[in-house]
Amino acid sequence: MTKLLETRGLNKSFGGVSALKDLSIHQDMGETLGMIGPNGSGKTTFINAVTGHLTLDGGEVSLEGKVIRGKRPHAIAQAGLERTYQAVRVYAQLPVAENLRVAALPHYRRLGYSNPLDGVDVLLAKLGLKPKKETVAGSLTLFEQRRLELAMRLISRPKLIMLDEPVGGLNPTEIREMIQLLKDLRTECGLFVIEHTMKVIMELADRVVVLVSGEMIANGAPVAILQDANVIRHYLGSIRVTSR
Amino acid sequence: MAHRRAAVVALTILALALPFLFAGNRFYAFILGITYLYILWSSGMNLLSGFTGLMPLMYAGLAGIGAYTTVNLVMKASVSFWLAMPVGALAAAVVGVVLGLPSLRLRGFYFTLSGLVIQTALTMLFVYVPQFTAGDTGISQIPPPSIPLPGRTFPLTGVWLEETLAVAAVLTVYLVRWITRSTLGTYLVAIREDDLLTEALGIDVVRNRVLAFFISSLIAGVGGAFYAHYMGFVSPRSFDVLTSLNTWLIVGFGGQGTILGPIVGTLILAPIPYLLQELYLYKDIIYGGLIVFTTIFLPRGVYGSFLFYRRTRAAARAAASPKPEVARS
Repeated sequence: MTKLLETRGLNKSFGGVSALKDLSIHQDMGETLGMIGPNGSGKTTFINAVTGHLTLDGGEVSLEGKVIRGKRPHAIAQAGLERTYQAVRVYAQLPVAENLRVAALPHYRRLGYSNPLDGVDVLLAKLGLKPKKETVAGSLTLFEQRRLELAMRLISRPKLIMLDEPVGGLNPTEIREMIQLLKDLRTECGLFVIEHTMKVIMELADRVVVLVSGEMIANGAPVAILQDANVIRHYLGSIRVTSR
Repeated sequence: MAHRRAAVVALTILALALPFLFAGNRFYAFILGITYLYILWSSGMNLLSGFTGLMPLMYAGLAGIGAYTTVNLVMKASVSFWLAMPVGALAAAVVGVVLGLPSLRLRGFYFTLSGLVIQTALTMLFVYVPQFTAGDTGISQIPPPSIPLPGRTFPLTGVWLEETLAVAAVLTVYLVRWITRSTLGTYLVAIREDDLLTEALGIDVVRNRVLAFFISSLIAGVGGAFYAHYMGFVSPRSFDVLTSLNTWLIVGFGGQGTILGPIVGTLILAPIPYLLQELYLYKDIIYGGLIVFTTIFLPRGVYGSFLFYRRTRAAARAAASPKPEVARS
């Protein structure tokens, strides 16, 4: 069966520091994959490399069996692989509707729409942003901006969205809402989630990959990962150590 | 929006009628001609500096390439101005795209700096290829364009030359307005606001940037060709960094990233050096004072600040209104 996302032997180094070491990861169709690891373990580098924001030193990347390695980021987004950023990124000076129009413009014809804003109201209603349609994105709350960011990806009907810490900076109530939102999205498109908040990973991911210094040290169901001695030593345990 | 369309039509008619109203006075007519040239130039630069967020300091150099190409074709190869001008503009556009390539890598200040270097190099080039530019001496007695009629040619002199510039300026403003409302225009603004995000959303940033450079440089070249054949004289000084800076000043003074901004900026700034000639001692002080005043009190430019003021007031009213759905059409 073809995998939704498959990487083989990814290598990337910055100067002498190797950020990704021979990384082979795959994500099945319909599967939600989580990725955890200490700061600087290469999680964001992995997203950057897969989505074309970084050039790889070696390795293969394919989306639904088609090679996407070496393509430019916009072409990879066109192919159906989109990403969000750790620090939320929206067009702060533009209204919500205009943000979505920009996001839809390169895709709406491919999706068979005649207007870039077709279907936008349904999407906004689903994400609870409908009353904010004409609001300037910069004046939204962080949680609203995170949802707008999601809406800007969903409007192009991607096959896979790679989320870089989707609940970063959110409060516990918002985190619960965001988890629910992402759970509902799992039927629409594949999700790949980087998170430090274990609650998100536990509830959302079908499988978790643990990265340490650019290497995969564990790979399995969330519950199993929590008990993995290696993971506890390198990641989970380290939280307790650093927080004293 | 009906009153808005009426205003646009009225402005267009006024712009096309003004040369005839000023026909009686050559001095004012000349200032008007210069004003049209700068409306054309600043609107073209605005596409890059205002809408795409890249400050092209080599703009005057590109205009120079358009001007020298056209002048050489007309004066040495006896090509009609109307054939030579598009060739000159295309030359400027191609050079502009090539020289704009650093923008794919450089951002903000560093791109501006690269533009300054390129502009300086172009000015030197104009000085050091006298077979095409006559060097610092400059090329004089450039003939005005003429329209070939059956049996004879009708030279565009006097009021007809200003009218030609008026048509060129109006067409340029309409072109820029059309572009900014197109998909390309939306992409350019998106690139200005956040190029990384724009790329991640599936928009080809490189292609759209190159397109912006092409169109903007094309307009610079058209302006250069008209400038040469309007003034009748060009030298490398006509297309030095000061011309770039003046054009940019006009755009910023009126309002970057707005259609009317460059027009408002030109109407205020372009005539000043000529109108204040009697006050030559204070001319530069008044000019500088105006710019300082605008920078401090109207940082978005004269028209840009007006738009901003109107928008914030509308937003405040919408927030206070019980039915926000109705507040916007």
